[in-house]
Amino acid sequence: MRDVPRQITLQQWDQRYEQMQKARIAQPSYGGRLSRHVEDGDERLLKLRYDNSAAALRLWNFLLTEEDRLREARDRGKKIVGTMKDLGTVPVMAYSLDDVVAFYPDGAWWIPCVMELNAGLLSIADSLGIDESFCPVRAMLGAFLTGAHFPIPELLICSVGATCDDFSAIAQRLDGLGYPILWWEIPHRRQAEPGEESVRLPGGFSAPRCQVEFVKSQLQRVRKALEEFASQHLSDEKLSAGIRKANQVRRLLAQLRRLVFTARLCPMPALEMLIAEMLAIHFCSDRDETITVLRELLDEVKGRIKDGTGLLRDDAARIFWVNPVADLQVMNLLEDCGGRICGTEYLFTHALDAIPQDLPPMDALAQMALADPMVGSSADRASRICAEIRRFHAEAVVISRIPGASHCALEGQVIGEIVQAELDVPVLEIEVPSLTDSITQALRTRLEALVEAVRERRKK
Amino acid sequence: MICAGIDAGSRTIKIVLVDAGSMGVIAKGLTDQGVAQDRLTSELFDRLLKDSKIRKKDIRKIVATGYGRNAVSIADTTITEITCHAVGVRRLVPDAMTIIDIGGEDSKLIRLDRSGKVRDFAMNDRCAAGTGRFLEVVARRLGVDVPRLGEMAAHSRNPAAISSMCVVFAETEIIGLLTAGTPVDDIVAGVQAAIAARVMSMIGRKADLPIIFTGGVAMISGMDRALESALGQKVTVAPDPQMTGALGAAILACNQVA
Repeated sequence: MRDVPRQITLQQWDQRYEQMQKARIAQPSYGGRLSRHVEDGDERLLKLRYDNSAAALRLWNFLLTEEDRLREARDRGKKIVGTMKDLGTVPVMAYSLDDVVAFYPDGAWWIPCVMELNAGLLSIADSLGIDESFCPVRAMLGAFLTGAHFPIPELLICSVGATCDDFSAIAQRLDGLGYPILWWEIPHRRQAEPGEESVRLPGGFSAPRCQVEFVKSQLQRVRKALEEFASQHLSDEKLSAGIRKANQVRRLLAQLRRLVFTARLCPMPALEMLIAEMLAIHFCSDRDETITVLRELLDEVKGRIKDGTGLLRDDAARIFWVNPVADLQVMNLLEDCGGRICGTEYLFTHALDAIPQDLPPMDALAQMALADPMVGSSADRASRICAEIRRFHAEAVVISRIPGASHCALEGQVIGEIVQAELDVPVLEIEVPSLTDSITQALRTRLEALVEAVRERRKK
Repeated sequence: MICAGIDAGSRTIKIVLVDAGSMGVIAKGLTDQGVAQDRLTSELFDRLLKDSKIRKKDIRKIVATGYGRNAVSIADTTITEITCHAVGVRRLVPDAMTIIDIGGEDSKLIRLDRSGKVRDFAMNDRCAAGTGRFLEVVARRLGVDVPRLGEMAAHSRNPAAISSMCVVFAETEIIGLLTAGTPVDDIVAGVQAAIAARVMSMIGRKADLPIIFTGGVAMISGMDRALESALGQKVTVAPDPQMTGALGAAILACNQVA
């Protein structure tokens, strides 16, 4: 059922859902009216605008039923592992085992937004001494203590080292509260020094061989812990099969991004694309279903491009967006202001690259972990951003700071200066808290001004 | 054919009428901002037309800008203050490359390219330090009118160091300085330097010359020197600095009907 693409409200989605029901359009087991999630407390959904495709509905329902599916998985005897501060490596290992489900507790950083602070998770973090000077991911502490947003995992694995200071502090606080964590260390990526062997990593960065070996040894520890946890041998064959599956997800996302970011008319809104991209790092607790969800989205996008249809104005300013937003509504706002997303760097670009399949699996995973843009210098990250801006012909850049996130403190300025020096495109830095209602006008002015600047620059 | 630009700022509403043929300014006016900003804007607009003997039907297009632009019901369209200030300042200073705009409740840094188009910009509207609001708070605390601050700062021989970057805490600091017997002129000069330092943080590196200073705060003498001192670069106050946003809006309105 492909209608003219448009963005609709939650109420309109409910009406549309009724039509889909009457037309007997098949729904997945987790399907249903979107508004039912509001009844669960997800108040923010009332203020968002959504793509009107069945594929988008499936994506949203997939995202918003993760807790239910995790609890069902546990009831079916599956074991749950929380993979924290991990942008796409350990989940690949965990899903290579039978009867193990990995999920991403850090994802709780969106709960204050989606539930409009009603869950009180940030207040709980405050009471634990983790106040607003920390990243909104501190909501994770409240989610663990209330147990109301995800089942408490039997095993917690978290990377530490060249990761955000504030996240490490939050995870350490969690550990201290009686949720023991298996830590694995990721070093700050550097170039090989003279005399050291350099390894070219997926995505284009490089690191000395000794760092790759070190990360491999850390991941071996994780592998052993996972084997003990699952009472199974995690063979190279199983790992390779897991990598192939993960690459299926990554290939689908790569194709989706390329088509959406380069199409003449925008075929999929920024909000749905943000949610889709996030699937790369944790599969929303169901790797096989992730593949189905992404295939449907991709088919929808291909169909729209073929039909010459799409959303937004055809002269929408082509914006490259850096960092995910704490308030999802800002993605709608960008489009209201005349922009469209043409390129993103949501902190996990490496998880969109294929994991090498021609290497022993642990070597391949170690290389992927080191290819994380966040574990290297800001200049490294900026160079990758510049390459993506060129690739998608973006006309301006928005660097969205996450309040309290230590990596955002100085990185935005460094990235902005490098991008301007290399590409001479306008760069706008904004800060997006979990709820932007009180600063919407201020954000709107900035985004509108950026779009105006882009339109002026198009004039000869 | 006449076009109008309305800058609905946080402290004042400014209107400029421009002849679309000659691009010359026909009339301009200003009133304090208030709760009923749409009514205040309409009243100012009507007054301006009456004083200038212009009929409403002679106004071809109205562009609103500024913080309250979306609440101006007589406007045909809105354009952000970033774009409008850039156009307005360029009209008055054709080679301007950098614009510092300090208004009542925000401050902006706008970088232009050689052709006058906006290259990029930065805004501070979440913290009163670095805005005219800071000066208002200080004037109230010292019991003087805002326009007198410039004159007082000019008499300073040793500007006080205001270490706080928060207006609320700075006010406490000022009370401490007064108690310690610091001359009022030195406190005012210190506050101007603190605002300039805040603006400096938006620039981050050397700004391209010429740097043009606009907005209501540019009318307070001494602020340009405080900015020059912080930047280490020459800063020139725009002609009629409070009206540049409205002027830019009027010019853009003319461009839209041309």
